[in-house]
Amino acid sequence: MRARRAVSALLVLACMATATVSGRKLESLAAGRDRSDRLLYLPNGRYLKLASLGQAPLLADLIYIWAIQFYSDYERKERFRYVRHVFGDVVTELDPHYIDAYWIGALILIVEAKDLEGGLALFEKGIAANPDSWILPYLAAWECALAGFPARAAQYFERAAAIDGAPTSVRRMRAAMFSRAGDLEASRAMWQEILADPGSDPTSRAIAERKMVEVSMQIELRDLRNAVARFRDDNGRPPRTLAELESRGYIARVPQGPDSTAYGYDPGTGEVHAPTARVLGGAQ
Amino acid sequence: MSPPADASLPLRLIGLGKAFRGHLGIGRTVAVEGLDLEVGPGQVFGLLGPNGAGKTTTLKMILGLLRPDTGEVRLFGESPSSPLARARLGYLPENPYFYDYLTAEEFLDFYGRLRGIPAARRRETVAAALHRVGLASRRATPLRKFSKGMVQRLGLAQAIQHDPDLVILDEPMSGLDPIGRREVRELIVGLKRAGKTVFFSSHILQDAEMVCDRVAILDRGRLRAMGRLQDMIAESAPWFEVAVRGPLPEDHGAEVLSQEGHEHLLRVGDEDALARLIDAVRGRGSRVVGIWPRRETLEDLFLRQVGHTPSGSSAREVRS
Amino acid sequence: MSQAPIAVPSAGAAIRAIALNTFREAIRDRVLYLLLVFAVIVIGVSRLLSLLTVGSEEKIIKDVGLSAISLFGVLTAVFVGVSLVFKEIERRTVYTLLANPVRRWQFVTGKFVGLLVVLALNVVLMFLALAVVLWWHGDSAWPLFPAILLILVELTVVTAYALLFSSLTNPILAAVWTFAVYVSGHLAWSLPLLKLKLPEGPSRLLCEAIYWVVPHLDDLSIKSEVVHGLPLPPGQVGVAALYGISYAALVLALGCLVFERKDFL
Repeated sequence: MRARRAVSALLVLACMATATVSGRKLESLAAGRDRSDRLLYLPNGRYLKLASLGQAPLLADLIYIWAIQFYSDYERKERFRYVRHVFGDVVTELDPHYIDAYWIGALILIVEAKDLEGGLALFEKGIAANPDSWILPYLAAWECALAGFPARAAQYFERAAAIDGAPTSVRRMRAAMFSRAGDLEASRAMWQEILADPGSDPTSRAIAERKMVEVSMQIELRDLRNAVARFRDDNGRPPRTLAELESRGYIARVPQGPDSTAYGYDPGTGEVHAPTARVLGGAQ
Repeated sequence: MSPPADASLPLRLIGLGKAFRGHLGIGRTVAVEGLDLEVGPGQVFGLLGPNGAGKTTTLKMILGLLRPDTGEVRLFGESPSSPLARARLGYLPENPYFYDYLTAEEFLDFYGRLRGIPAARRRETVAAALHRVGLASRRATPLRKFSKGMVQRLGLAQAIQHDPDLVILDEPMSGLDPIGRREVRELIVGLKRAGKTVFFSSHILQDAEMVCDRVAILDRGRLRAMGRLQDMIAESAPWFEVAVRGPLPEDHGAEVLSQEGHEHLLRVGDEDALARLIDAVRGRGSRVVGIWPRRETLEDLFLRQVGHTPSGSSAREVRS
Repeated sequence: MSQAPIAVPSAGAAIRAIALNTFREAIRDRVLYLLLVFAVIVIGVSRLLSLLTVGSEEKIIKDVGLSAISLFGVLTAVFVGVSLVFKEIERRTVYTLLANPVRRWQFVTGKFVGLLVVLALNVVLMFLALAVVLWWHGDSAWPLFPAILLILVELTVVTAYALLFSSLTNPILAAVWTFAVYVSGHLAWSLPLLKLKLPEGPSRLLCEAIYWVVPHLDDLSIKSEVVHGLPLPPGQVGVAALYGISYAALVLALGCLVFERKDFL
């Protein structure tokens, strides 16, 4: 009868209310704990392999994707704890042929944690497990060059060129690398060649594409900064906006930046910021 | 030493026995013990007995679904595990259930294949079987939409579609209404006329009485009686029941079956006793208002052999 | 008496008939909806990846695709397989079926073949879906084919076990046992390592015994190799397939034996 139905409805509503309220309370209690780095305490990949029941590569992918999300959070304190562990001992133990894990991990270490040796160690691990991969020593060579170690860069270039299947451009670029380490246009052209070389495998091509975008951004930044400097010299003050540079003819067009995110500009100091001067920023 | 194989005998049970162990190996229930049985070609044979008598266990052993502990089963001289033996029989279980994702046609076709009927002939046999049991209009209906009676008929169809020499039916009348039961009886009689052998188990005696040539009575796993139905019933002579209105003579010598006011129902054993009774009643001044000759029914026989009817009522309850 | 010829079906005809019936049962059982779930997962993942990851997306799509095909295949094999024989016994359809002139081993084998055909169909359809998604990303699924083949071999082993346990016990326990075999099969590679750490004596022997009995399912997995395009040693696929198929045949024979000796109470 109606009384019974009303009582049932009330009970249901009461349960819903209780669940909602207590759920929220639980959330606020737990908010203090940062649970995402619980996953950092991952056992070594060799043991995880047991648990994966034959799906080790997939598990490697999942941990890798999670790690990307984790390390993209630039607000996080102590971000670089465990980079070597996650990328070196977990993901790449589960899937030793996961090229992306090696070079992304290495780049995080080198570019952001400023740990060249750590990054190179990761590169070495990848090279050891993938002797046919020329892209890993190639990337290592670049990083050494950019960090100011030409001799070591040369060694890595040798190793890359010595691998069967390396595109012929690698050999040529080796020489150019020495003299033009700072030449951004040349870098971009070199990556362009790898992209266009029919001998390149899809992984390397993907990396080349990424690198081209990066270098293009560096070129645009450089041009913008030069333009701001000239404006200052001419007018005694920095431009109010980047658009003013365009309207006054210092640059042909305000560049959009990769992924169409605009360059940041501070009229007070006259500094131009890259929207994504970060290894993982482009993943947004 | 096992007896020589006799290929003309559709069914022969020799010293058949089966016992089941209880839970965790404790306890032992004897389902069937020392069963000897023969069914000749062209006979209709009824295996009768109350529930739990061992009829289903016996049937399962006949079909090779259970292995007997002792004794043997011979189907046309072969063991039930031989496909040759099973090729010549058709079987309908009690409360049949079939694949509800198939249509009637698909189902019969499937079983036709399992019978080794080649594709061309299969179409005919399937259609004929459906027609024979009155399901021709439902050939494309999925079995999940079939009523119980329809499933039963389909079961009969699969049992006979390949024209078997021996048809085995487990409680074929159970759950059917009187019309359904008549249809089954007619089917059995039809099979007999076509020269087939029919072996069925039942606890409904009236139907068995109407169609069987020979019966075996099973109770608690043992054979209590077996033989031609007519012979077994005729062993007991016919008697008469007499209705008398009015006071009874003192020494009427008859058995009083019932009494209601001035009406009495008496039983006398033979014609001489009948004649004496009529004289005595007339002499007392009462009247004989009805005389019925009776023969023993199968139920009476059953009661005599087993001590209770298949449904468990004792002699006392039946008489009242 | 009737003069009808005594007809007994050939083994092949009986197996074919039962396999066809099993196939129909599985198809009409809507188990194929799993395929839809698979397609949704693979497509969804491939769309989300560009937001989540850095680097090669195709690698992840291939990994997800192969793992999903493998896992869904195993789930289907187990959940359909463990009730295949059990249902027939439970609903007593096996009574009328065995009253036909078929042998018990033909019944079990027919069920096995029928389920395998369903699984193969599922795997092929999922592979096609994966191929479409990969093609849309500009990559090819064809190099993955050897892994697909070995996934099918793995499924053959799992199905054989599912059928065996289906004749022995109810579906829930049978599923537990089959999954236990699956897990042990994928951990088998670690047993020799464990053996070295054990003291001499019965525990070592037990470890060795388990290693020989359990199927080496991890040896049937070449997912990593095909995804990375690494060269396989010549004949690896062939030898692995031979191992898997002969192992499955043994388990099937055991299942037939169990069913042969069964009393249908």
